[in-house]
Amino acid sequence: MTTLDGLAHGLTVALAPSVLVYSLLGALLGTLVGVLPGIGAMAAITLLLPITYYISPEAALAMLAAVYYGAQYGGSVASILLRLPGTPQSAVTTLDGYPLAQQGRAGVALFTAMISSFAGSMLGIVILIALAGWLAQLATRFGAAEYAVMMIMGLVAASTIGSGKIAKSLSMVVAGVILGCVGTDVNSGVQRFTFGQVELLDGVNLVALAMGLFGLAEVIGNIRKAEVQGPPAGVALRQLIPTRDDVRRLFAPISRGTLLGGFFGALPGTGSTISSFLSYALERRVSRTPERFGNGAIEGIAGPESANNSASITAFVPTLTLGIPGDPIMALMLGALVIHGIQPGPMMLEANPDMFWGLVVSFGIGNLFLLLLNLPLIGIWVSMLRIPFRWLYPAIIIFVCLGVYSVRGSTFDIIMVAGIGVIGYALAVASFSPALLLLGFVLGPLIETNLRRALLISRGDAMTFLERPIACGFVIVTVLLLLFPLIKKLRSLQTR
Amino acid sequence: MFDHINRRGVAIATVMAASLLSTTAMAADWPTAPLHVFVGFPAGSSPDTIARLVANPLSKALGQPVIVENKPGAGGVIAIQQMLAGGADDYSFGININGPLTTAPRLISDLGYDPATDIAPIGLIATSPLVLAVGSDFPADTLSEFVDLGKADPGAISYGSVGEGSGAHLTAELFADAAGIELFHIPFQSYAEVTTSILAKDIDSGFMAPSAALPQVQAGAMKMLGITSLQPFPQVPDVPVMAGQAGLPDDFRAELWNAFIAPAGTDPEIITRLNAELNTILARPETQEKLLSIGWEAHAGTPEELADRIVQDTAMWGAVIDKTASNN
Repeated sequence: MTTLDGLAHGLTVALAPSVLVYSLLGALLGTLVGVLPGIGAMAAITLLLPITYYISPEAALAMLAAVYYGAQYGGSVASILLRLPGTPQSAVTTLDGYPLAQQGRAGVALFTAMISSFAGSMLGIVILIALAGWLAQLATRFGAAEYAVMMIMGLVAASTIGSGKIAKSLSMVVAGVILGCVGTDVNSGVQRFTFGQVELLDGVNLVALAMGLFGLAEVIGNIRKAEVQGPPAGVALRQLIPTRDDVRRLFAPISRGTLLGGFFGALPGTGSTISSFLSYALERRVSRTPERFGNGAIEGIAGPESANNSASITAFVPTLTLGIPGDPIMALMLGALVIHGIQPGPMMLEANPDMFWGLVVSFGIGNLFLLLLNLPLIGIWVSMLRIPFRWLYPAIIIFVCLGVYSVRGSTFDIIMVAGIGVIGYALAVASFSPALLLLGFVLGPLIETNLRRALLISRGDAMTFLERPIACGFVIVTVLLLLFPLIKKLRSLQTR
Repeated sequence: MFDHINRRGVAIATVMAASLLSTTAMAADWPTAPLHVFVGFPAGSSPDTIARLVANPLSKALGQPVIVENKPGAGGVIAIQQMLAGGADDYSFGININGPLTTAPRLISDLGYDPATDIAPIGLIATSPLVLAVGSDFPADTLSEFVDLGKADPGAISYGSVGEGSGAHLTAELFADAAGIELFHIPFQSYAEVTTSILAKDIDSGFMAPSAALPQVQAGAMKMLGITSLQPFPQVPDVPVMAGQAGLPDDFRAELWNAFIAPAGTDPEIITRLNAELNTILARPETQEKLLSIGWEAHAGTPEELADRIVQDTAMWGAVIDKTASNN
């Protein structure tokens, strides 16, 4: 089946009333759960799973997929307005989104996030169609050695995103890495820093960490301010519309973000997070005015938002072409297929072309719907900022607790988020960047596990990182990234 | 922590005494409230699907809702702790995998419960064997060839598992010990990672659920050399059983299982009733088909049989853990 035949065929599948209705329903629900901080796609999909027994497999997968990418749209809302990210990707969006909202330009920030999400998804679909086979091959070439050095590169590249002193940035990354060590060590089974708490065996809850460091810290920080200032002034409609300058700034970051997201998304596991951070670091590096980043640069929203949406589309590549789920949500979607008697695996594409092409077309329809749904909602979201602090902040705390609890039904995690909130406030006072802590927390354990695994596989031979071509490429890029500031400095000395 | 256990022990004893006094009165109109079933894995996982396959018909049979409470974490241990937290109240139950009932006391410090004294078995639900899978171009087509290769070059063949102390890890070590070979362990976190690494030729082999290996085998990317059950498994009927082959003993068996359990001290009449209901549900063809579609075989039995299974497996896996610990 050629691509055009496939698309035409997919269109008939995706436009079938049941599939269409369920994918729109999924997109709507995805937006809603995405907006609610901490209650992510995972919770929504597990709730929807029983319903999928009663509908066709195409409709089931289209709906679950729509929840997955729809949540990426909604996730930016709480990050921008309230500094309440539920995932590391949306933590990146807070970096410039929240300052913009504080400046009364929340509408512009949301508009940027929505349009970038849409563009990232649509281009991600193009990448999926054009390169699915190649990306699937790539995924099977990535062993432990490649993952280890790729993540080291990600950590090095993104370590510079915090504004301020380099020592402060690095200390946050290291703190994150150390925090990531908590729990059962994959390689040895040893329990590290668990203090006899069974709840800590699986590590610190990521959602609790993100919401504590950002959202709760912000609430604590504003308690005093709230009494003095009262709520911010209302937002005029005029302020929702981005300026011509804003729009011009969006094209390049979206293209770069989409490519990054499209590439990393196809690698099972970490695509979305690493591509968001890399995109942010890249935009800051190529910008002529890097000092605007962290103070409301819309490129800092556009790049990462397009990256994580593009990644959420290409994440379907290993799932659909190899039957290998990249993350727990994908595993759930494959589970839904198994219930319908469809065996996920390398043969799925040949055996069920309807499924693949129908799903691809439903991605397009779903994203178009999400854009049309979300643009008019921007005004409503922004008006949330007019809610008086004395109502808004207790509500935020309730949502934070609900979100954290929804992850695994643990009251221990709620106590933990409270403690992390206090730490987050202390960090904010001392102007440390919590986003970097989150980055270290996510990448640190992955680097450790993959590094040790790669060395186990090579029986202790460290040359494995240089002998394997893809790994070697990442090593070279990492070294260049480290040398770049030095070279720049030497040049400036020469010219002087 | 010990203090905590003692207090819990006293609480359980008190409830036991109370339930002994009022057994007949209580069992006659039980259940009068919803039942809670604590499951150690998130919604959508196979233990959760198994729990729901039992909970829904059970609810119809008992005329009360049976609520599945997902308390994931620590390989199922958190759900056992949560089930025990309220004491034996005749309404808290658990559906869990073998790990928290057999190997957990050896692998987790401060477990907070003892499977031998704190758990009342209701019945086995389903079992799943593991298959030994290798990449399609691995130079062995049968289990004997695999063992010969292993003997020729001890420690050269690597295998992936889903973590230190996981069923896949312990099964591989049990197999290696029985076959008299040495395998090289590389721990991963999921079967998806193990599969990818076999496809990428990073590792040679892995013990995994038949349903994880099957699609790759059908696509010609992997081979299955043997299965750890005593009988061929319906999902992969062509894969030969390992027992009696390549120098393995005739009773070589290593299976994962899911079981229905209650806190120790639960009214024995309730246990008997639930065991009967469970076995009725498991006897239905539609339950068996659904279980098989997710890679599990229905396996009815008495509470005593489950208790025996816990004791046997604890001893079997304990010996493997001792052996791997002394090797390290």
